[in-house]
Amino acid sequence: MNYNTQFYEKVGETLYEYRHESGLKVFFVKKAGYNKKTAMFGTNYGSIDNVFKVQGSDREIEVPDGIAHFLEHKLFEQKDGNMLDKFSRLGASPNAFTSFTQTVYYFSCTDLFEDNFRMLLDYVQNPWLTDENVEKEKGIIGQEIRMYEDNAEWRVFFNLLECLYVKHPAKLEIAGSIESISKITKELLYDCYHTFYTPSNMIVVVVGDLEPEGVFSIVDDMIKFKDRGKVEKRYPDEPEELNSEYREQKLSVSMPLFYMGIKDNKRVSGAELLKRRIALSIALNDTMGRSSTLYNRLYEEGLINDSFRFEASLDQAFGFVAWGGQSVDPKKTAEIISGVLKELAEKGIDEKSFTRIKKSYQGMYIRSFNSVDTIAREVMDTCFNGTSYFDVGKIYEELDVSYTNNVIREVFNNKAALSVINPL
Amino acid sequence: MGLPAGKTSVEKLAEKNGVQFYRIKSDKFKTTRIDLFFMDNLERDRASGNALLPSILKRGCASYPSVTEFERKLEELYGADIDGGSLKKGETQLISFHMSHISDRYTLGNEKLFDECSQLLMCILEKPLIEENGFKKSVFAKERDNLIDYIRSRVNNKMRFSMTRCIEEMCEGEPYAISEVGSEADALLLTPQNTLELYREMIQTYPAYVYISGEVDDISIQNFIDNFISMGRGNIKSLKTSPVQKNVSEVKRIDESMDVNQGKLCLGFRTQVDACSPDYYPLVVYNGILGGDTHSKLFQNVREKASLAYYAQSILEKYKGLMIILSGIEAENRGKAEEIILKQVEEMKNGNISKEEIEATKKALETGMKSMQDSQGSIVDFFMSQHLTNCTEDFDSQAEKFKSVSMDDVVRIAQNVQLDTVYFLKPNEKASGEGNE
Repeated sequence: MNYNTQFYEKVGETLYEYRHESGLKVFFVKKAGYNKKTAMFGTNYGSIDNVFKVQGSDREIEVPDGIAHFLEHKLFEQKDGNMLDKFSRLGASPNAFTSFTQTVYYFSCTDLFEDNFRMLLDYVQNPWLTDENVEKEKGIIGQEIRMYEDNAEWRVFFNLLECLYVKHPAKLEIAGSIESISKITKELLYDCYHTFYTPSNMIVVVVGDLEPEGVFSIVDDMIKFKDRGKVEKRYPDEPEELNSEYREQKLSVSMPLFYMGIKDNKRVSGAELLKRRIALSIALNDTMGRSSTLYNRLYEEGLINDSFRFEASLDQAFGFVAWGGQSVDPKKTAEIISGVLKELAEKGIDEKSFTRIKKSYQGMYIRSFNSVDTIAREVMDTCFNGTSYFDVGKIYEELDVSYTNNVIREVFNNKAALSVINPL
Repeated sequence: MGLPAGKTSVEKLAEKNGVQFYRIKSDKFKTTRIDLFFMDNLERDRASGNALLPSILKRGCASYPSVTEFERKLEELYGADIDGGSLKKGETQLISFHMSHISDRYTLGNEKLFDECSQLLMCILEKPLIEENGFKKSVFAKERDNLIDYIRSRVNNKMRFSMTRCIEEMCEGEPYAISEVGSEADALLLTPQNTLELYREMIQTYPAYVYISGEVDDISIQNFIDNFISMGRGNIKSLKTSPVQKNVSEVKRIDESMDVNQGKLCLGFRTQVDACSPDYYPLVVYNGILGGDTHSKLFQNVREKASLAYYAQSILEKYKGLMIILSGIEAENRGKAEEIILKQVEEMKNGNISKEEIEATKKALETGMKSMQDSQGSIVDFFMSQHLTNCTEDFDSQAEKFKSVSMDDVVRIAQNVQLDTVYFLKPNEKASGEGNE
């Protein structure tokens, strides 16, 4: 059996990579001494992939919002019963998630790994959709959508994306709306399935105290589907400008919530993507992290509290930096932050702060190897973005202050948008 | 680099003046940590003050008087983490402090992080910022305001809010109704002086548990223990236990409205089971069958069969013998949902439980007990909970207890479960508006 290994000496962990003949990529990380085993089967298909050419035809279609997530729910249903029950009978805990760019099915267990793993590989290859079971799911997903409508943190985030993006589908709700899911049919779901659930568009990741050969030979035995060819999907050309600078909504909250963000207009992938993401995180940490002058000034003035967060969300298809939390005066807070960011774009970050913050991020990277689930998720995410989680250590070594300051100039000169949730 | 799978155990290192020090044995993690818990009775006039203490202490200490300096120091120590908070387990309030850092072998130059990090932890515990025999006024004022904002913001998360309101109504007049962060009215009575007084009581008189886990040498541990013990201790406070027995004479029904889209239905039950009694194990199995997982009766009937909800689950409050069932539904389906939920509770009482249901639940518990040992935080939480309830079971023996639960045990437990309170967070007629400015 042929597979590659990548040993990351500093953390003492090894990544095993196997390429199945169908084009499916399989990764394994051995965690000696751990009871828990996690396996994920994911496709490079998420909520933003709504315009594509249906496999086996020349037809390009635009599908209803929320269909990738709907399909995720439906895959659990099989002719002979619900997969959730079958995993549960074997003591495993199954689940799935749909993000902007991925749909991932997974389970974790401590015993009977092989039986569970075989089931995972099997059901993802075999959808079973009926008009009736598609209709039934609309009630359940409808309640999931209603739950998010009342979630202020979720709303403030998606309202910001609505401000940032003029055309890009990253602005769309992952689960869609009650209205959009009403248009979903069995036929449309199959079109999506056949287009995106094809081996060369998918990845399997396993983490736990197992052996690589064992894991890979189960894959050999279970993968029956043939590759249906390259996925042809299309995103609209996103202008550099914002869709709008400000958006406000009222919900039952105790005090206003705000989320502010800047679009990153440069598209990169692979190791460059990781490097850019880390550089932007360090820049944000330097400017508004707990150790920053700005954070403490806003905190002292009573403009932000402990709920304040920031993120650098970069993907191959879109990217943005964002920050926010509760504030008695979002507009004043936003103004002060914008002032400091303007200064950051001009002056950049100094060598001393850069070195200190980088060290702290290296520590967080090492910490991430404590968790089987985190490793599995990160290995999958980095692979879909054309690189390896085991390269992150090397990227930290390469990353320097001048690269970081270049990225800062490219991003922080762009205009920021502000989303606010006010109390009713 | 981890050790082979084996027993996760805890060793008592010392007990002095009401402080118990434990070493957790498990070497597979990349981090080293200290978790410490000061315990007090959950009481109205103390809860807010207790909750405020970690927030104030985190804002600096004699060696690092500003947050900026303190946080920069933590960044230099490879992103070490020092944090604190307040929680309740039954009618005990726990004021927790936590320190963690990556283990020395993962640093760039084999630096020794434990001594420095534990000294930072000791600094915030021992040398808070004080003026005029009270906490530093500016720090106190800000943190008290933040605590009040936090108490008010519990309304933001509708699922948690409805559950908290259900418990408050259900346990009206019992200490358990008090929030782990107290109330706004009580927070307003706090001053820099009386809060400093409370801080001294915590350091000197609250019983405490300390857990050390990850790679660290014995000398460093001993130094930490010596430093900790050198903080003066006085008469150690004794803690009350949380009574779980309560007979319900009439079911309480509470409806509240709010501008929300989805209604939240919460049903509160009394199980009459103590945290460390032999009945606790069948109770956990009972809860698993009823609403613990995707194979459970609630998930299957409320969600999968009736399509009424995205979630329908039951949660145990181990230390107070409570069980809460929660679901998010359309207002018009409220009657139907309640009927289906109560029917499942009846099915449990009547013993309509399949062999598959009980087996799946027991396997899920076994998986859970094993998986917990893969997280340093969960290991600490497990042993701390056992120590708090004077329970001697370890991971393996507790797993055995779950395995030996029989169908009869589960049905016996089911017979004693009583509905106490039905709480419904009802959407107002008018839906919330949205608009650009």
